[in-house]
Amino acid sequence: MDARFTALLRPFLKPAGPGEITLTPDTDLRKLGVDSMQAIELLFAVEDTFGISLPDEELNDTTFATAGSLWNVIAAQLPAGAGDGTAGRETA
Amino acid sequence: MTTEPAPRPPLDLTDRLAAVTEATEEHLAHTDRAAEFPVAALDALRRTALLGLLVPVAHGGLGGTARDLVAAAQTLGRSDMSVGMIFAMHCQQAAALVHYGSERLRKEVLPRIAAGECYLASVTTEAGKGGHLLSAQAQLADEGGELAVERFAPIVTGGTHADGFLITMRSPGADATAHEVTLVYAHRDQLDLTASGDWQPMGMRAGHSAALTLTGRVPGHQVVGEVGEFHRIAATVFGPLAHLGWSAVWLGTAAGALSRVLRLLRSPAGRARFDLTSELLLTRIARSRQRLDTVHALLQQALRTVESGADLSAPARQLQLNALKITASEECLAAVDDLIAALGLRHGYLKDSPTRLEQALRDLRSAPLNYSNDRLHLADGRLALRDQGVSFA
Repeated sequence: MDARFTALLRPFLKPAGPGEITLTPDTDLRKLGVDSMQAIELLFAVEDTFGISLPDEELNDTTFATAGSLWNVIAAQLPAGAGDGTAGRETA
Repeated sequence: MTTEPAPRPPLDLTDRLAAVTEATEEHLAHTDRAAEFPVAALDALRRTALLGLLVPVAHGGLGGTARDLVAAAQTLGRSDMSVGMIFAMHCQQAAALVHYGSERLRKEVLPRIAAGECYLASVTTEAGKGGHLLSAQAQLADEGGELAVERFAPIVTGGTHADGFLITMRSPGADATAHEVTLVYAHRDQLDLTASGDWQPMGMRAGHSAALTLTGRVPGHQVVGEVGEFHRIAATVFGPLAHLGWSAVWLGTAAGALSRVLRLLRSPAGRARFDLTSELLLTRIARSRQRLDTVHALLQQALRTVESGADLSAPARQLQLNALKITASEECLAAVDDLIAALGLRHGYLKDSPTRLEQALRDLRSAPLNYSNDRLHLADGRLALRDQGVSFA
């Protein structure tokens, strides 16, 4: 997960308590307030930031479940070498 | 060429449904006038084992499918929309226990449902959350492995008659957000219940839905699904079965109304009273029938989508299920309104007409408000934006 991604994602997350969240691929987006209403706003932010368009068939609940699942779908659309690998091999 | 194994033929529920319909019709005028829960119909649902329609045979139930639920809900809706909705909502709760209950909970509760001893009510409403199903304010408290429930719900259909409750609560823990919702089951004897308020609605008067305060403690294995995983139950069971079941009930209510109108018109008295060559009358009947065929077609297609086992969170599938709910709630109401215009004051508007159009219209007026169409349109707008290619399920 690259820094542009974590930076765009952070404003969408609403933790219960004070303090910053540590973003990992396992971060549960739904628990932090990314419901189906928020997902479309997040999609626009992703597409604007990376200049990509995510395929319709990837825009299901599984993709928006965790930071890692969303990043994997983004990384697949980035030009070769532009993304830094799948979320599973990265630390945030 | 390979073919799918033939699906099990639908259950023959004719006699069971006839028994419930008979009990319903006998008390219909009274439950509507007095806004009383249809106790006789519920007793018949218990006696005929229909409360266990969706409970697997292995747990003593009828082992019915979504298709059986749709057929039964439609039949009951023809007699009384309140009874149909009470039944459909109970089945939706039972399906959540079947699919997500722990092994221990399933063993404890499913045989009781199948035996007609456990009518389930749903506690998902909460003051101040604007009907957001997937959020919760009141929080479960973990007290040494037991979960403490303290919850006020402004609307619980059948709450004063239910034997068990499925309750949405915020997950336990200091860092749980309003989006971490857990579903718990509670037996009636595990709760202190206080009903409040008066039930005097326009329609659905037998669907007694008072406000309820629930307080009690349940053991940990009565969490349904995992802690914080209610959204998964909502997406796979609650949502799809609600839209299918409710739409089937509404279609039944409008179809029952149309059928009674046609029987009246074709009777000797009706033919003497109404000019069946009137183009206005014929057009109004045709329009009403056309609306019901539209809903029926969409209901059957949505049923096939649910039966396919495909991921129902895909935008095209969610949009189709939402379209079913919105279309059924609007078109069934409009179909009955057409019939009132067709028949006029005496048989369209008066309570004592055998067409019962007056009650059908009042009852169906609740359909667009029950999980509000306004909310579904907003969700659909966002879902549509996620499907630029406009695919259809």
